[in-house]
Amino acid sequence: MDKNKFVFIEQTGEGSEAIRPSLTYWQDAWRRLKKNKLSMIGILVVFLIIGFGFIGPYLTQYSYSDQINKYKNLPPMLDLFEIDGYNFHISKDYNMFIVEPDGTLIDRLDLPPLNRDTINKIYRYQMGDEEVILDFSYNLLPDKQGYDYDYTIEFRGQVVTAPQTSKLNKMFPFGTDGLGRDLLTRVMYGAQISLLVAFIATLANLFIGVIYGSISGYEGGKVDEIMMRIVDIINSIPLVLYVILLMVWFRGGGLTNIIIALSSVYWVSMARLVRGQMLSLKEQEFVLAARVIGVAKWRIILKHLIPNAMGPIIVSMAMMIPAAVFTESFLSFIGLGVSAPMASWGTLANNALSGLTTYPYQLFFPALSIAVTMLAFNFIGDGLRDALDPRLRKG
Amino acid sequence: MKSYYLKRLVPLFITIILITTLTFAMMHSIPGGPFTRERPVPEAILRALNEKYNLDDPILIQYFKYMKGLATFDLGPSYSKIGTTVNELIVEGFPATAKIGGLAILLIVILGIPLGVISALKQNKGIDYFVMFIATLGITVPSFVIATGIIYFFAGQLGWIPSFGLATPKSYIGPVIALAGYSLSFIARLTRSSMLEVLRQDYIRTARANGIGEFTVIAKHAIKNALIPVVTYLGPTIAAILTGSFVIEKIFAIPGIGRYFVESVTNRDYTTIMGITVFYAVFYLIMILLVDITYSFLDPRIKLKGEK
Repeated sequence: MDKNKFVFIEQTGEGSEAIRPSLTYWQDAWRRLKKNKLSMIGILVVFLIIGFGFIGPYLTQYSYSDQINKYKNLPPMLDLFEIDGYNFHISKDYNMFIVEPDGTLIDRLDLPPLNRDTINKIYRYQMGDEEVILDFSYNLLPDKQGYDYDYTIEFRGQVVTAPQTSKLNKMFPFGTDGLGRDLLTRVMYGAQISLLVAFIATLANLFIGVIYGSISGYEGGKVDEIMMRIVDIINSIPLVLYVILLMVWFRGGGLTNIIIALSSVYWVSMARLVRGQMLSLKEQEFVLAARVIGVAKWRIILKHLIPNAMGPIIVSMAMMIPAAVFTESFLSFIGLGVSAPMASWGTLANNALSGLTTYPYQLFFPALSIAVTMLAFNFIGDGLRDALDPRLRKG
Repeated sequence: MKSYYLKRLVPLFITIILITTLTFAMMHSIPGGPFTRERPVPEAILRALNEKYNLDDPILIQYFKYMKGLATFDLGPSYSKIGTTVNELIVEGFPATAKIGGLAILLIVILGIPLGVISALKQNKGIDYFVMFIATLGITVPSFVIATGIIYFFAGQLGWIPSFGLATPKSYIGPVIALAGYSLSFIARLTRSSMLEVLRQDYIRTARANGIGEFTVIAKHAIKNALIPVVTYLGPTIAAILTGSFVIEKIFAIPGIGRYFVESVTNRDYTTIMGITVFYAVFYLIMILLVDITYSFLDPRIKLKGEK
């Protein structure tokens, strides 16, 4: 036959669908997760926070426990009074600072006790041989009512009643706390502690919950009955209460104690979830096949059952991390957290509470960090649920 | 039906006994008694105190005495507030806690569920995005941050509400919002997703095909079924909110039970810690039982075990 009678059909690409490369469960899940923009943002943010917490402290010039006594309670934004080429900043607790025009602190001005006239409400600060006079008697003393400013600053005969500019605090971008510690460093350090607690507690929960749940689910019968009764009892206790009790039992805070307390209580939901998965998985043929060829029980659980239940486990793990961050900050907030000078986001927020009306920025940054972290993990959790467990897909 | 309650009540009592025993064991295994101070208390006083509070008895006797007290609803004296009993503390603190908690739950139910339903009905419209945005914020910002934020802005800067106590009706606003925040957001999200699930069901399509009005379809057929997971979540939440507002009470200086609990934790006032724990646990268990019973009314498919 003449070869030339055959003509090549033009390729339309229609058949290409059939030879799409087959994807494993994990590749498929990853592909779906990648499509979820919010989750990808969440993952990015989590990496940023991890970098912020674990690399950040090496980049700042202070350590989390350094106390620079003269620079306490400084805000992240410095209101500057410019007089005769000098920039002054008055802190809320009446300390006067001299500042570079770009917002770098130069020094705190001396205020000898004799220059502190608390009756007439006039402070005279020393700058070399010269004096800077702060008069904050306006609207406070009975004979000085009805002014539209509360204080004046006098230097070299010039009087200023309001700050001209505000500059970002170059030395302490997040400000300082009541002991003169750099808040940026402390928030970074707090990230370390909070994330460490969350990750370790979650891993411990995962470990205990998965082992407990799979034994209970696989064994079934009496064993299952007893093990689940125990879970029921633990589950019927308000968990936060027991974490608090455990913390009291451990005699107060400390990183290890928080982790132990969180891990010893929160594994029950994981155990229930895994048990449910085991109950349905163990009836499937591949388990029967494994059993027929004589695979050991623990090997069936570890090699065949747990990998197949991994989807829901990972989803619940992603949801557990923010819960642990939450509980840790809550514990720290009621005074059962890590002990000073260590700091977690919760202790930072707790410390800020007493000076809230005067120094709100001290609460703002730790609170923001907690919120951003929670948000990021929630996005990841939602995305993972959609990607790994399509049956649970919401909305 | 009767046998069902019996079946539920027996484990309830066992759980309560177990919780009490566990708490008792934990409290008594802490080294040092409740009267251990930095400065040593004179021997004679210590002995007198121990005798007064029966702390010189063997541990088992103490345990039985405590359990006996518990059976007659006597939680013993407080160690740090001399002259008051734990019962008095609970009686004194619970009304404030319950009022705040009750209002918070009311807010959650009358705001959270409708918001979730509206959000589901207007899926992917502006209002849906708005509600879900607020709800997402609500579950990511911790309650103590919401509380301090409310104090800072509404009590401090604007001066609309008092920043502490419960003296005026206005002063309830802050704590109730802060307490409800998380659960309100969670309920709204939960109602939305559950509602969307239900709206896709065949029976909703059937109802619509039968020409039933849209309002009846939503109100009678969809919402009732969509509420089942919500009730599941709501049960423990009610218990947790009515009891677990330690932080809110601390921030707003509300003389409630949670504040006593936090105080007793810092004072190592063991009887109060135990008493309040047991009180919470019992309350919590009863609430969960009530929720389980509510189920059978909501969904006839759920049969109570033991019911023939």
